[in-house]
Amino acid sequence: MEPEELTELALAAAVEAGAGYADARWVREETEGLTVTDDRVDDLEAEDSSGLGIRVLVDGCWGFAASAMVDPGRARDLARRAVEVARASAAVDGEPVRLAPAEPAVASWSTPLHRDPFAVPLAERVELLLAACEAQLSVPGLTHAKATVDLWRRRTVLWSTEGTRVDQTVTQTGAGIEAVAVGDGDLQQRSWPNSFRGQYQGGGWEVVEAADLVGNAPRVAAEAVQLLSAPELPERMTTVILDGQQLSLQVHESVGHPLELDRILGMEAAYAGTSFVRPEDQGRLRYGSPAMSVTADATTPGGLGTFAFDDEGVGAQRVPLVTEGMVAGFLTSRETAAQSGGASGGAMRADGWGSMPLIRMTNVHLEPGQGSLDELIADTPDGLLLSVNRSWSIDDRRVNFQFGVEAAWEIRDGHLGRLYRNATYDGRTTEFWGSLDAVCGPEAWVVWGVPNCGKGQPFQNARVGHGAAPARFRRVHVGVGK
Amino acid sequence: MTGTGSERLLELAEAALGAGGDDVEALVWRQAGGLTRFAASRIHQSTWREDLWVRVRVAVDGNRVGTATTHAADPAAVRATAGRAVEVARTMPPDPGYPGMPGPATYPRAGRHDQATAAADPATRAGLVAGVIRRLPAGVAAAGACETRELEIALANTRGVRAAGATTAASFSILADAGSGTGWAEGTEPALADLDVAALGERAARKAVDSRDPRELAPGTYPVVLEPNAASVLVQWLGWLGFGAKAYDEGRSFLIGRLGQRVCSPLVTVVDDATAADTIGVGFDFEGVPKRRVTLIDQGVAAGLVYDFRAATGHGVEPTGHGLPAPSSEGALPMHLSMLPGQTTQADLVAGMERGLLVTRFHYTNLVNLMETTITGMTRDGTFLVEDGRVVGAVRNLRFTQSILEALSSVRAVGAETELAAEDGYGAARAPALAIDRFAFSSATTF
Repeated sequence: MEPEELTELALAAAVEAGAGYADARWVREETEGLTVTDDRVDDLEAEDSSGLGIRVLVDGCWGFAASAMVDPGRARDLARRAVEVARASAAVDGEPVRLAPAEPAVASWSTPLHRDPFAVPLAERVELLLAACEAQLSVPGLTHAKATVDLWRRRTVLWSTEGTRVDQTVTQTGAGIEAVAVGDGDLQQRSWPNSFRGQYQGGGWEVVEAADLVGNAPRVAAEAVQLLSAPELPERMTTVILDGQQLSLQVHESVGHPLELDRILGMEAAYAGTSFVRPEDQGRLRYGSPAMSVTADATTPGGLGTFAFDDEGVGAQRVPLVTEGMVAGFLTSRETAAQSGGASGGAMRADGWGSMPLIRMTNVHLEPGQGSLDELIADTPDGLLLSVNRSWSIDDRRVNFQFGVEAAWEIRDGHLGRLYRNATYDGRTTEFWGSLDAVCGPEAWVVWGVPNCGKGQPFQNARVGHGAAPARFRRVHVGVGK
Repeated sequence: MTGTGSERLLELAEAALGAGGDDVEALVWRQAGGLTRFAASRIHQSTWREDLWVRVRVAVDGNRVGTATTHAADPAAVRATAGRAVEVARTMPPDPGYPGMPGPATYPRAGRHDQATAAADPATRAGLVAGVIRRLPAGVAAAGACETRELEIALANTRGVRAAGATTAASFSILADAGSGTGWAEGTEPALADLDVAALGERAARKAVDSRDPRELAPGTYPVVLEPNAASVLVQWLGWLGFGAKAYDEGRSFLIGRLGQRVCSPLVTVVDDATAADTIGVGFDFEGVPKRRVTLIDQGVAAGLVYDFRAATGHGVEPTGHGLPAPSSEGALPMHLSMLPGQTTQADLVAGMERGLLVTRFHYTNLVNLMETTITGMTRDGTFLVEDGRVVGAVRNLRFTQSILEALSSVRAVGAETELAAEDGYGAARAPALAIDRFAFSSATTF
């Protein structure tokens, strides 16, 4: 049976069972992950998952039911179960859920692709990764080389009782290398284009080709070996330039999450946490320096948070979050927007067919400034260039953070100097962003992918994007605990 | 739509075995359950879901290995998936280290399947939530979740393995918010009826009230008493950072050069034991190997590694039953960790501390340095200053940046009671409370 028929059946059964509102999402998700370590295929995971998730509102309470095993009878059963779940929630009194109005969407959309990554023969992928590992292992002193390619495609058929009829297919591709050097009781790693399996973007095989894994392999491997004999970064207060890879995670943890309106309203309190930001801070709270402007933009080409419609059928939008340092908006859903009196910003996203949509980041960008990284380094008499994330942690209201990076280069008199290992820095969110004094320009701005953002109960994973160019921060505490 | 039956799953797995090739393995995993979530003292999200996952692994030409996965539940779909795995295997390069697949075995009794937990309906979960919320003191609101789930696993291969098992789990977590202070409690058991949700609610509410108006405390190195949930985080990280044989072989383990040596206090013994009566799991791993109890740290001495079939074959030892779905770049992992209890009550651990901190829970821990076993993270939901053996008030939350082995080297005493605990849902370990003489807090936050 076609997905549209299943969703229609489910919606009819939900209404018959008493739902005041219902949406049904049929989702098929295909993934292929390939890992080559040294000279052999270390891991190959290929999944093909489809199922139906039904979300209902009954007397102002949400209910949700989902299954991978769907036929017409089960679709109707699922709808009835979702209504049963919603009715049970009325055991505890509370304000009924209201949804901000949204125009029903009727449309189809797919990620533009230059070359469908799933059509690239497995043998071609394996050959590329073996070559990338061989190029790393050509560097003396390297212990292990890893290379990865990950493919991801999700088709969503979303129907609602309000008339939404969306058919959307998102395709994303990731690739990377990791060079590992072990010696004298230490382990150091350099990654390219990013850590944790590389760079991920919306698009096809062109994402892999752009990464030039083989071409970058010798340099990355050499840096990993150099790190083994580099000194530890000592503790001090200094100026730091974060490269785009590290900055993207800094934006993710200390800007994106705190501006999710469900966190601000306490809906994630027990698990992911809340936020130091309050609903009334919009337009009033200084979040950072005037050099800081942050936008949530689900329309950015190549982002992991790029789509035409979110999982409530709300159209992709560009929403200012921070404008010249002042809080300008939040990531919102129809439910939270109704509480604040606005319209949804289109940030409701679910981790597949089996999960209720939650407010998630789309593509949360630090808007570019001007100039190149070389110019920014030349303009820095004393400081550090911190490169590629290795570790991250932040408190449950998103105030106190600590990050580790793979490599740190001294900047002295406008030039890069010695390399340091085991570099860390910490800070508090608004103080840190208040110390931002320069962001590189559009030529250095890249949409980085974070494919592993966790939130919600049951746990959900989201794939989000962050446009970032290298940026400079003053008086940062580095070398934590050294 | 509940209770497929692990024997039926085994039949589904067997449907893959005729795919052709030298070895065929099918792993079937079915999970179903509900989760009732609350915030600001109202149920705001409530879900039920069921998933079934079939993963087929095939070896052709002796050592070309391919896998394919489906979420469909009928034999024809499983056979088609097996056919895809064969196609994948034919395109793969030879794997000279392919060890074959395990043969038949007898499996230990493990886990517990409670039918009432498997069948728990949303009204049951909502009723438990409502009861806890009704008993909250004035001025205290609550957030949290009540979850019940059933897990069935079956595995068959062409070497004769036929394994099937089922287990259930129930958990209740609550964060109580008393304005300027929060408190937290969580329980996990194989059976819902064994969870004392009222006691969890009372504990969280009491901590929230006691956490009001926290004072600022300068970061530094302090003695601590870690409650079982916080202690379990150290145990889980330690398990991930070096006890897998593949990680050890690749130099990704803090244990390199330290096996057989003292790595922490003799008060510390850590085992991995899926066969313990109080854990959640089945008696075989994801390759169909029987799970064995492995002592990882024996009275402070690094004692052993865990092996999947490939690493065990390479080392010429018996696999310990810790394999992930193969092939795996991670290798074997200990997934049923337990730190053995001592003989001191938690109250006495606190009473024995002249000046230090009592920590309820950690938040968002992450690795800083693998070889040093250094991790960082925050305290949350109940961090208290202890003076002269008494809790004298709450403190604002602190960030720790601390080597786990160094912390476990300064363990002064081990609690008598253990809890099965998880941090942020990334895993679970059973741990007692720990009194540690030196624990480094590197910075503080504002609440």
